Amino acid sequence: MLLLLREDLTRSFRLRNAKGKRTEKRGLLKRVSNFAIPVIVSGALLWGVLAIAPMFWDLIESYISENLGMGAAIFNAVLLISFIGSIMISATTVGNSSKMEYLLITPIKMRTIFLEKTIIIIFYNSLIWMMIGVPLFLGLSIVSPFAFALLSVPAFIVTLLILITIGVSAGGLVGLGVARAVAGRRALKQIGTAIMSAVAIIGTTLWYVSFYTNSWNDGPNPFDALFDLADSLGFTSILTPGYTVSSVSLGLLIGAPWRWQDLLSVSLFLVLGVGMVLLNSYVSEMAHYSGWLASDATRTSKEAIRKEHGTWNPRSFPGLKLSNIVTASMWFTITSVRRDARVITNYLLGPIRFAIWLILPGLAFGAELGGITSYFILAALIPFATSYGLYFAGYELVYEGKNIMNLQLAATNLEEYVRGKVYSAVPFAIIASIIVSLIVLFISPLMWVYLPAVLVACAFLCMASGGIAANEAAKGGDFKADRSITRQRGASVRTPLRGWSSIRASLVPYAIGYAGVFGMILAGVFFGVLYTYAILPVFVLFCWRLTTHYTRKAGLKLAQIDATKYL
Amino acid sequence: MIEAMELTKVFNEFIAVRNLSFQVNPGEIYGLLGPNGSGKTTTMRMLLGLLQPTAGSARISGHDIREEIVAAKRVMGYVPEEPVLPERLTGWEYIHYISDIWRVPRSPEREDDIQELMNLLDISDASDDLIETYSKGMSRKISLVAALIHKPTVLILDELQAGIDPRGAATMKEILNGLRERGATILMSTHILEIAERMCDRIGIIDEGELIAEGTMEELRTKAKGQSSLEEIFLSLTGGPDMQLIAQYLGESA
Repeated sequence: MLLLLREDLTRSFRLRNAKGKRTEKRGLLKRVSNFAIPVIVSGALLWGVLAIAPMFWDLIESYISENLGMGAAIFNAVLLISFIGSIMISATTVGNSSKMEYLLITPIKMRTIFLEKTIIIIFYNSLIWMMIGVPLFLGLSIVSPFAFALLSVPAFIVTLLILITIGVSAGGLVGLGVARAVAGRRALKQIGTAIMSAVAIIGTTLWYVSFYTNSWNDGPNPFDALFDLADSLGFTSILTPGYTVSSVSLGLLIGAPWRWQDLLSVSLFLVLGVGMVLLNSYVSEMAHYSGWLASDATRTSKEAIRKEHGTWNPRSFPGLKLSNIVTASMWFTITSVRRDARVITNYLLGPIRFAIWLILPGLAFGAELGGITSYFILAALIPFATSYGLYFAGYELVYEGKNIMNLQLAATNLEEYVRGKVYSAVPFAIIASIIVSLIVLFISPLMWVYLPAVLVACAFLCMASGGIAANEAAKGGDFKADRSITRQRGASVRTPLRGWSSIRASLVPYAIGYAGVFGMILAGVFFGVLYTYAILPVFVLFCWRLTTHYTRKAGLKLAQIDATKYL
Repeated sequence: MIEAMELTKVFNEFIAVRNLSFQVNPGEIYGLLGPNGSGKTTTMRMLLGLLQPTAGSARISGHDIREEIVAAKRVMGYVPEEPVLPERLTGWEYIHYISDIWRVPRSPEREDDIQELMNLLDISDASDDLIETYSKGMSRKISLVAALIHKPTVLILDELQAGIDPRGAATMKEILNGLRERGATILMSTHILEIAERMCDRIGIIDEGELIAEGTMEELRTKAKGQSSLEEIFLSLTGGPDMQLIAQYLGESA
């Protein structure tokens, strides 16, 4: 177990580069940043606390002594985050257990290997909270005049680890439970990611709602709504692990008398945590060993069956005659995205986070700014239109990697292939536009006059965005990049476009979208709706020109890449 | 020694392996042959303790794979068909890490063994490179080093020589012959029938999860009514190409 832990930690916190000539060297900054960032952040926090806390110590002390459980909501939120995150991590760790085969064949019990992986997950989950919490408690305990205040630091570390152990183990068990119910490695990953993404989006939405509604109603106090919500959900209950962390660590900080209830809850939660983590490793072993996670093969018979298939005819846009290359490219892109729930969830729902920023101010200010609410919502369409173009024509072009190089060597018309990728984003942009249009109609029925124009504009904006993204991908794409939307420890989305290409592919379509769509609408508002429809063809033509210009450029650039470097 | 007794594995409704029984003796190379999807890898994974048999049992050097899997694993070495290795380790680090896990004492002798195996397999030059930079053949070679470093008495090799250069393949063959002479039990699957014919003492042919024939080359020839090469024997037992379909295709494409 210790060997496994050492190997996992060494791999993550490797400071020196490997020596060999074939090794892809990582820059010093990248290697050192794993250590440097937490140290700098913690140091800054500690300095801040030491500088400020002495001035307000009396206030802090009296506030803590009257509200020992005040951190309960925060710590229970940490518990919830660990729980939700671990559903996904359990999916990727056990789901990817075939990638650990070199370990599974060693003379170590499988459950020990899974236990070690769970401990690593607990460790990484707790790092960020430790990075914030330890300097805070250390700083306050230095300022505190009480003899045992310094003990609040180890108390915080131990109770936080117990809390995260419970969260991670519970999340892992839920993930495995889902695996049992819907047997199959692929299903496990898909469901884990879908749950994770949906919860993350709902979480951010709640946060924004609370931010905006509180800013408007009561002044700048964005946390109240969240705390009210936490209270109503029982998050501040004394029976929760979060309350125990808060009560024990803060109690030591202000010299509160020890209560037997605290000791009892720490012991109970410790036993619960250890029990759950062991159960988690046992169930992980069963999931792998029994074959729950076997691939989702549809074969049920040993008899040789020659299946009959219908005529191959990938659908394109109704009424449009497109070449085989374009339709094949569209089919390939949509199919490869559709068959990976991780990808489709992130692609389809990803722009929502940004859109919410645009929509919610309008909703929050309600009647005060009633007239412009619908414009805010319409503005939210632009991130969808541009993002889908970027994802389907930019990212997917790069992720296709070797296949693109094969096509290049096979002398495929790459301009047409790129166009297929651009077109593949359009149905998604249209569906998103229709959904947003319905919301606009519900809020402000009079806006209907602008909706057809916005719908058409967004479809063409999506294509222009796709063309621009494809061109940037051809220029600055990392064609060796994996489509790792989520990595083992839940790292965030990694763009496969390098440097300025990534920035240009994102920002230029936004600028065009906002200038164009809002220009059309403002013309309608100030001069009459007919002006909107007069500008529409100009905007459509402009977008179409951008699409054809950049898809041609992208095709040419792709044809000039030295394919042998990637094959 | 490997003893498989009535091994069966069922995935949902799909019977991957059905009542499979065979035995591989010390000092013997046993070749497991079969068409794609016939159950060879599933059988190996059950023997390695990676998959739970639905029914039946197996023993590795006397250790039951259900009851004493850790003891069984201790005497086994395995090279998978497609090794998945820790990409962020160098080859040298990986072998030392695996040696530690197998409790091979850290000693000059261990260093020499690793160096010797790496030299033999022509990967010494890349030993300081990260595994993520290795080619398929190099990954397979480093997997073989990892499988041999604890001096196993039972070796399970899944398509060992696929994707290996001729010199590497010849070296591997000599290593396996040497290990056999020293009494190792070797179970290997391969699609290269020439290798099976030359190297294996006995061959088991598996089709649709069932062992349909087993024996030395002579015994298989007798069973296949005088077919002389292993390829002919294999095709006569598992079914050859559909000549009618081939003729139809060639006729249409001409």
